[in-house]
Amino acid sequence: MRVSIAGVGFMGTTHAEGWATTGARIVGFSAETVEEASPLAAHYGVKVFPDFEAMLSEVDVVDICTPTHLHHPLALLAARAGKDIVCEKPLARTTQEAREMVSACQQAGVHLLAAHVVRFFPEYALAHSAVVDGQIGKVGLIRLHRGSYRPKKPAGNWFLDEDKSGGLLMDLMIHDYDYARWIAGEVESVFAQKVTTAHPQAPIDYGLAILRHTSGALSHIAGAWAYPPPTFRTSLEIFGDAGLIQFDSAETAPILNLIQKKTADSPDVGLPSSPVSESPYTTQIKEFYAALCEERPARITAGDGLAAVQIAEAAILSAQTDQQITLEHLAEVNQ
Amino acid sequence: MTSAPIRIGIMSFAHHHGEAYIQNLRNIPGVELLGVADDDRARGQRLANQNGIHCFSSYEDLLAAGPDGVVICTENSRHRLMVEMAASHKINVLCEKPLATTLEDAQAIVAICEKSGVLLMTAFPMRFSAPLLEVKQRLDNGDFGQVYAFNATNQGEVPTKHRTWFVDPELAGGGAIMDHTVHLVDIMRWYLGSEAAEVYAQTNRIFHAGEVQVETGGLEMITFQNGVFATIDASWSRPPYWPTWGGLTFEMVTEHGAVLVDGFKQNLTIYNHANQRPVWQYWGSDQNQAMISDFIEAIREEREPRVTGIDGLRAVEVTLAAYRSAASGQPVKI
Repeated sequence: MRVSIAGVGFMGTTHAEGWATTGARIVGFSAETVEEASPLAAHYGVKVFPDFEAMLSEVDVVDICTPTHLHHPLALLAARAGKDIVCEKPLARTTQEAREMVSACQQAGVHLLAAHVVRFFPEYALAHSAVVDGQIGKVGLIRLHRGSYRPKKPAGNWFLDEDKSGGLLMDLMIHDYDYARWIAGEVESVFAQKVTTAHPQAPIDYGLAILRHTSGALSHIAGAWAYPPPTFRTSLEIFGDAGLIQFDSAETAPILNLIQKKTADSPDVGLPSSPVSESPYTTQIKEFYAALCEERPARITAGDGLAAVQIAEAAILSAQTDQQITLEHLAEVNQ
Repeated sequence: MTSAPIRIGIMSFAHHHGEAYIQNLRNIPGVELLGVADDDRARGQRLANQNGIHCFSSYEDLLAAGPDGVVICTENSRHRLMVEMAASHKINVLCEKPLATTLEDAQAIVAICEKSGVLLMTAFPMRFSAPLLEVKQRLDNGDFGQVYAFNATNQGEVPTKHRTWFVDPELAGGGAIMDHTVHLVDIMRWYLGSEAAEVYAQTNRIFHAGEVQVETGGLEMITFQNGVFATIDASWSRPPYWPTWGGLTFEMVTEHGAVLVDGFKQNLTIYNHANQRPVWQYWGSDQNQAMISDFIEAIREEREPRVTGIDGLRAVEVTLAAYRSAASGQPVKI
């Protein structure tokens, strides 16, 4: 299996590390400019493709790790070329684009794997298993929290350009919409607010969303781009009628570092970092690789990726209109 | 100012807090605890005996004994009747929360106390919590900058182990939303100096579904007049084997980041053969004690208590709007 990666930021780099552990062969990278992709290509001893189309002729699988707004056009090109696709979350910037991607991939008979890595984090995967095993009974309420600092890219920070990324309510909080839906099933309504709606110039951003699932369960999703670097903190609470599950990254950190240092450095985006034997990003890519090789489902479908985008889009609309948004069922979710 | 003892009576043990308040009252020098009256005579007599206080044969007898103040611990929907009795005897009132279960009752409670010239305090003990006071002081000092949002929880176990009326729609006025909305609404009003303008709520009954008829799960999103938005998780989602009864937490998001506050974090964790599970024993300061002391001092100094009847009324307004939102599926203006 030949794979190439579009986008060489943090996610492209991380996915490459994952692919390198599989039987797949990384054949090259593409980015906005050749110069951008050169260091990573050199690291793996592979080529830089001048553009995405050039990449398609030499691969079986493309892994799309570009900024969100580019997922849709690149995925459609890949689908038309008959290539399997791994696509970083959010699957697309809008529900309409995500629907088109799912349909195009189905028509072309290619796989579309949505990289929602939270499902592959051991604590989140274990909590899911515990719920599925019936350890806490019927789920009544879920609380998910994900907090870090504002992504800080020196130039052209697409994370902060809501037309490109969807902003906090999409880019950050989609992780937990997807997880809530994995735990408690389809979502029927969304109500959300975020700081930068009323305060566009605020130095931080923070969002809150209340989801109602068709099962009757409720989810409370909180997302913060508000904390001092290098903070990255997540927590989950799943309350059932026969018990509850709790996780807080701050309370389960196995190492507390109290070493003095002169300067505090931090990566461009906050990252979760509980030491485990295999990076969850690698776990994800290995599972996707196996799914593609063995023609079996991964733990997340293209429809799941679409559904998460639909929730995120509803959250954005709710925050803009101060109304509860009711979600229509999309046939493509179950394709 | 008066140096005579402050004479206090307790009206009903329907709310289990009544028993805790006895000890709080005893801890205050210059307080004379006259006793209790309870329309459930057997309960009143039993708990009076257990706590070593006098049990009056009726509320009228208690009020005729001339207390300076009463602490009202009836079921929620019966607060108005008790307040009207006390106010008509010109007796100051500390009323358990929520102040009432209807807007009409809450307004009537405030009005009669005003008309009678008696003090009316709502039992919001978190206003006296040491950690919350610390954060309020730093907020007022400008340490946090502008406040943008709260992410708050007031979760508990289903309170039926204390009293069954907590899940009676008539006596309690509702379930988890009625029980757990008012504390955080009051804290936010206190911190922000702004009133709630709108509330959105979702409720369900999955916890204890077969045992109760009221909502046991509830999430609310409140928007204040100054633009601050806040969620409250009011659910009875804690199981009975949780290390304590529940808790009250909030994350306050500001222009400089966030402050995470847990009103009941100051615990020892105790593992022993008897419990066979971890149990938290609270060593923090007793906010109930500070609240009861403020009521006594307000009577003594003839001043307003630090939490008023209006505070109780405003919290009831938000709670009732939350029920209307849960029914309609859209946010409701207050």
